Amino acid sequence: MLRVEGLSVSYGAVQALSDVSLDVPPGRVTAVIGANGAGKSTLMRSLAGLVKPQDGRVLFDDEDITGRKPEDIARMGIALVPEGRSTIPDLTVEENLKLGGMWRSHTQRGTSLTRVYALFPVLGERRSLGADTLSGGERQQLAIGRALMCGPQVLLLDEPSLGLAPLIVTQILELVSQMAKDSGMAVLLVEQNAATALRVAKTGIVLNLGQIVKSGPAHDIANDEELRHAYLGY
Amino acid sequence: MTNFIDYFLGGVSTGAIIALMALALVLVWRSTRVVNFAQLGQAMITSFIALTVRDATGSWLLALLVAMASGLVVGVIVYFLVIRAVKRLDTSGAIIATFGVLIALQALAGMVWGGDQKAFPPPISNSGYEVFGRTWPFSPYDLLVVVMLIVLVLIMTIVFTRTSVGLAMRASAFNPEVARLSGVRVSRMLILGWAIAGLVGAVAGVLVAPLSTLSPTSFDLFLVFAFTAAVIGGLDSLVGAVAFGIGTGLVISLVSGYTDSGNAPVVALLLLVLNLLFKPEGVFSHHKARAV
Repeated sequence: MLRVEGLSVSYGAVQALSDVSLDVPPGRVTAVIGANGAGKSTLMRSLAGLVKPQDGRVLFDDEDITGRKPEDIARMGIALVPEGRSTIPDLTVEENLKLGGMWRSHTQRGTSLTRVYALFPVLGERRSLGADTLSGGERQQLAIGRALMCGPQVLLLDEPSLGLAPLIVTQILELVSQMAKDSGMAVLLVEQNAATALRVAKTGIVLNLGQIVKSGPAHDIANDEELRHAYLGY
Repeated sequence: MTNFIDYFLGGVSTGAIIALMALALVLVWRSTRVVNFAQLGQAMITSFIALTVRDATGSWLLALLVAMASGLVVGVIVYFLVIRAVKRLDTSGAIIATFGVLIALQALAGMVWGGDQKAFPPPISNSGYEVFGRTWPFSPYDLLVVVMLIVLVLIMTIVFTRTSVGLAMRASAFNPEVARLSGVRVSRMLILGWAIAGLVGAVAGVLVAPLSTLSPTSFDLFLVFAFTAAVIGGLDSLVGAVAFGIGTGLVISLVSGYTDSGNAPVVALLLLVLNLLFKPEGVFSHHKARAV
């Protein structure tokens, strides 16, 4: 569904990604794992159009979307949940959600909103409260909910575990994985927390210093002791 | 005591106009983090356009509507002039650019309409109401000014809090990246912010012109007052702009009444300095201190 071919990104003299190619198939979670500074966030940001790659292509359903604006990419059906605080604390919970997918029809947005509240009941309970009153886990649910409001075919999740309790991370990721299975949505998950990510993912890709060092079934990667010691540090 | 009441009442409509001007500054600040010193120049140009329409047709309402429409257009034009500077330089470059635009607008007005003070007659009586056997410094025109402020604030509140475009504008101001990732065309929202600011400023210009006279530089002092009100209000708070706009109007009326009208700008600047010393983030801002 989403295909990356030979992507290279550099910030000045620093090469953040070099010649990265990968596939993100529908209906499942693909995990990109790697240590801090491996280029994971750069990969996500260039897929969402926030960073312009120097080289390579991003194909969405065989259409070249390299270098498009982030708002256009979002409208095509690729939604990024960026790392960290990606909710707007000055808006209410429901306003944060309604921000997603504003270009869609009233009916589509209504259906999506009902679905998000069904997936994350706590958001429904707090819909009229300010987003700044939510806990870290609830805020991550809100960020994912906002992305889902765009009705995405591809969901890009950048480090959703950051600062969250392991139990909450597992819950959220399992929900996302179930959603991918049910709706045929493609999910690209980027994580430093490799063990958790590989548990929900079908395919694992190990990124180190901007290059892919290994990719294969998540199960194999999780059990590759050498790889774990060398790149994942556990 | 009667003096106090008189000075107080006399400051209400001035305060309402300062509030409108401060609102325009806040709208621009919220969308692009630029203080637009050309705002008053834009209002001056649109007031001249309004005066021309009024003289030609005799209709104040038509003049107001034309001023509002041209305020939108001039706002968009100035946005493009200034934002080019932001892209090439930085925010402080843009602020200098707004000064440049202000001077250019004043020169343009001088060339087209001349440098003299022109009278801009009010649409309704500007002599004070007579109640309890005396004349109060509050006229039907003052009432019109206050009503206009209330109506504009109500419309803006509804647009910002109840409509999708308002939500998109607020999100673009608070967090442009998240807004773009949500599919909002943020650059259009910024232009819209400048356009609405131009409209609000145009209304302020048409309302203030009858209180004195109209010339290319006659609004300069209002820039000081509106800037003071906007900054004390927190620069990104619409409520703050309205509250401190009216407050500034009352303060300068009291200062002018008890001392001399020449002291009013000094007091305004003094308030600004005290604010920046003791509460630099502004009274209504929810952000932490900004760099001064």
